[in-house]
Amino acid sequence: MTKAVKNRLIKILLSLLILIVAVLIIILNLRDNIVYFYTPTELSQMEISEKKIMRVGGLVKKDSINNDGSKNFSFIITDKVNEINVIFQGILPNLFAEEKGVVVEGSYVRETLFRADKVLAKHDENYMPPEVINALKDDGKWQGQ
Amino acid sequence: MAGSMSLTLSFVATFSLVICFAVSLFQMRYFFSKYESVIGNHFLLSMVQLISCLFSFLILIYVFLTSNFDFQIVYSNSHTEKPFLYKLSGTWGNHEGSLLMWILILTIFNFFYAISNSSDIKLRNKIIANQSFLILGFLSFCLLMSSPFILLKEDVSQGLGLNPILQDPLLAIHPPVLYVGYVGFSLVFSFAIAGMLNNKVDKEWASALKPWILIAWIFLTLGIALGSFWAYYELGWGGFWFWDPVENASLMPWLSATALLHCIIVLEKRDTLQSWTILLSILTFSLSLIGTFLVRSGILNSVHTFASDPGRGLFILLFLAIVLLFSFSLFASKGGTMEKPSSFRVISRESGILVNNWLLLTILFIVFLGTIYPLFIDLILEKSLTVGPQYYVMTIAPIVFLLLIFMTITPLVGWAEGSINQALAKIKYSLIFSLTLAFAISLYFDLFSITQVIILFLSFSLIVTTFFSGIKFSKNNFFIKSILGKTLSHAGFGLFIFSVIANATYSEEKIYDAKVKDILELQNHQFMFEKVNQVEGENYNSIQAVFSLLEDNKAVKQFTPEIRFYDNPPTVTSETSIVHGLFSDMYIVMNVPQYQDSISVRIHVKPFMNFIWLGVFMIIVGGLFSIIYRIKS
Repeated sequence: MTKAVKNRLIKILLSLLILIVAVLIIILNLRDNIVYFYTPTELSQMEISEKKIMRVGGLVKKDSINNDGSKNFSFIITDKVNEINVIFQGILPNLFAEEKGVVVEGSYVRETLFRADKVLAKHDENYMPPEVINALKDDGKWQGQ
Repeated sequence: MAGSMSLTLSFVATFSLVICFAVSLFQMRYFFSKYESVIGNHFLLSMVQLISCLFSFLILIYVFLTSNFDFQIVYSNSHTEKPFLYKLSGTWGNHEGSLLMWILILTIFNFFYAISNSSDIKLRNKIIANQSFLILGFLSFCLLMSSPFILLKEDVSQGLGLNPILQDPLLAIHPPVLYVGYVGFSLVFSFAIAGMLNNKVDKEWASALKPWILIAWIFLTLGIALGSFWAYYELGWGGFWFWDPVENASLMPWLSATALLHCIIVLEKRDTLQSWTILLSILTFSLSLIGTFLVRSGILNSVHTFASDPGRGLFILLFLAIVLLFSFSLFASKGGTMEKPSSFRVISRESGILVNNWLLLTILFIVFLGTIYPLFIDLILEKSLTVGPQYYVMTIAPIVFLLLIFMTITPLVGWAEGSINQALAKIKYSLIFSLTLAFAISLYFDLFSITQVIILFLSFSLIVTTFFSGIKFSKNNFFIKSILGKTLSHAGFGLFIFSVIANATYSEEKIYDAKVKDILELQNHQFMFEKVNQVEGENYNSIQAVFSLLEDNKAVKQFTPEIRFYDNPPTVTSETSIVHGLFSDMYIVMNVPQYQDSISVRIHVKPFMNFIWLGVFMIIVGGLFSIIYRIKS
C-alpha cells in the first residue's frame, strides 16, 4: 500500500465510524421517544405498564365529564366496546365535548385510571383523529361517511 | 344552474391555462440539441406564460371577491359575510387555488429569469425548457385533476365558509411567501439540470445561480418564520415550534438550501465541489416537492390539509418520482465527470464549509427520519405512533454545538490552506470576552447547567467574532459591504440559538381558576382579573376577559384574551392576548367558561421571545444585504 492509499483508507474508515455512531445515537433516541397510539379495546387486551407514555383516542362518553369546579376534570373515553377512565388537570381544548372524538397523551396511574398530561387540540368540530375513525370502523361502530 | 356569466368566466380561465400549456410545450423544444443554440424570443413567450396564468388567477380572485357560488371552490371555501381580506386569501386557502398559485409563481420565476442578463445562450435555453417542463407538469395536474374552475350543478345561495382558525392576516400571506420560497428552488433545479445537460458547471454558472438561491432562501426563511409566529400567538400553546410534521416539511428544504447557499460560494470562488452543488440543488427542490406532497396530500392531518383525495396525493408523488428518476439518472451519468479536482487541504475554509454542510444534512436526516418513520410504520404495520419533540431536541442539540464552533472559526481560515492557530489568535480576545460573559450571566441567574453554559459561550463567540470581523473601525469604511450580509445572518443565528436556550430555560406557565378581582401571580408579576366583556366582531361573537398587569398596585398593561364563537362554519376559537416586553413576553389564554363565577386561565411568561424573532429577522436581512450587494456590483 502506498501512503496515499493508506491515508485515503484511514479517512474512509474514520468517516464510516462517525457515520455509524451518529446513526446509532439518532436511532436509539428515536426509539426512546416514540409514543404509540391505542384504542380502549387494544388497551384491554394488553398488559398495562404504568409510567409508559402513550396516546389514547376515542369518543368522549355521554354524561361522563365531571369537573370539581376548578381545573380538575375526569371523563371516560370509549370506542363503544371498551372504556377508559381519564383524569386531567388543566385547560381543555375548545372543541372538547361529549360524543366527540378526542386524543389524550399521558400514562396510567393505576390499572383502571389514565392520567392525561395533554388533551390534543383539534382544529374543527367535524375533525376526528383518523386513528379513531379506523378504530370505530374496525369495531363496526362508524356512522360517518 | 350556473349563469352564463359564470360559464364564460370558467371557460375563459381554463382556456387561458390551456394557452400557457401549449406555450410551455413549445418551449420544451430547447431540450433538443437542434434548438439549443437558437436565440428564441424568451421575453415574449415567457410573458405569455406569465400573463395567461396571471389572468386565470385574477379570474379566480374575482369570483372569490364577488362570492360567486356557481363555482364549487368558492362554495366550499367562502361565505358572503367573510371580511374582504379573507375572501381574498380564501383564493389560495384551498387545494385547487393553492395549486394555481404554485403554477403562477413558477411562471413568474420563469419570466424574471428570461429577462435577466445572461451571456450563455445554451444555459438559458435549457433552463427555460426545464422550467416549462415543470409548468407543464403542474398545469396538467391542475387541468386534469384539480381545476379550480369547476361549476356547481345545483344552485346555492351561501357558501360553507373558511375555518376561522385560518382567518388571520398573517395566514393570508404565509402561504404565498412560503410558496415563493419552494417554487424559487425550481429555478435552482433547472440550473442543475441545464448545467449537467450542457456539461458546464463552473464559476460563471455558480455566479448566475447564486442570487436565485438567495431569493428563494429568503422567502422560504420568511415563510417559515411567519408560520411559526402565527403558531405562537394563535394556537395558544405557548411555543413557536412544535416539530409537527408540517413544520418539519418546510424545515427540510430550508436545511438543504442553507447548505447549498454555502457550497455555491466554494464553487464560485474556488471552482470545485461541482457534484456536491448539483446534488444539493436537486435535493432542495425534491424536498420542496415532498413538503408540498406531505402537506397537501392529506397524509398528515393538520390545518394545512385541504385534500384527502388520495388521487391528488398520488399525482404529486408520481411527479416527484419522475423528477427524481430523471434528475438522478442524469446525475449518475454526468455528475462524476463534472467534478474538478479539488486542491484544498484538510484545514481550509473549503473544509470548514463542507463540514457545516454535513452538519446541516445530519439535522436534515434527523428531521426526515422523525417525520417519515411514523408514516412508514403506519403503512407497513398499521400501527399509529408519534415521535416526541424530545427526540429532536436531544439529537439536534449536539450538532448545533458543532455548527456554532465551525461557524465561528471557518470564516477566519484561509481558502485552500489555512491555520487554526492563526484563526484563534485573531479572535482570542473575543473568545475570552464571550467566556466571561457566559459565566457572568450563568452565575447571575444561577440556573444554567454545564451544557447551557457551553451553548451560551458558543453563541456569544459567534456573535462577537462575526461582528468584529465584519466591522472595520476606520473613517471611510465602517462596514465591509461585501460581508455585511454574512455578518448579519451569522450573528443573527447566534442570537437565535442563545434566545431559544434562554427561552426554554426561563419560560413558565401556570393555570389558575380566576374570579373577577382576583390577583394572580407568576414570576414576580401580578395580574389583576378586571372584568368580563361581551364583544361583537365582524363575523363572530366573543367573550372577552380583561386582565391588567400591576406594577406598584397600578395597572400598566392590559390583556384581553377572548373566546370567539363563529357561525359559518360553527366553530369556537380562543384568542390569546400577548403583551410584548423588551426582555419578556407575557401571554394569557382563557378557557371556555364552564361556571358563572370563575374562569380557567393560563398565564405564560416567555423571556427573550423578541430576541428569537430579532435573530430570525437578522438572518433574513443578512440575505437581503447579500443580494443587494450582488446586484449593485
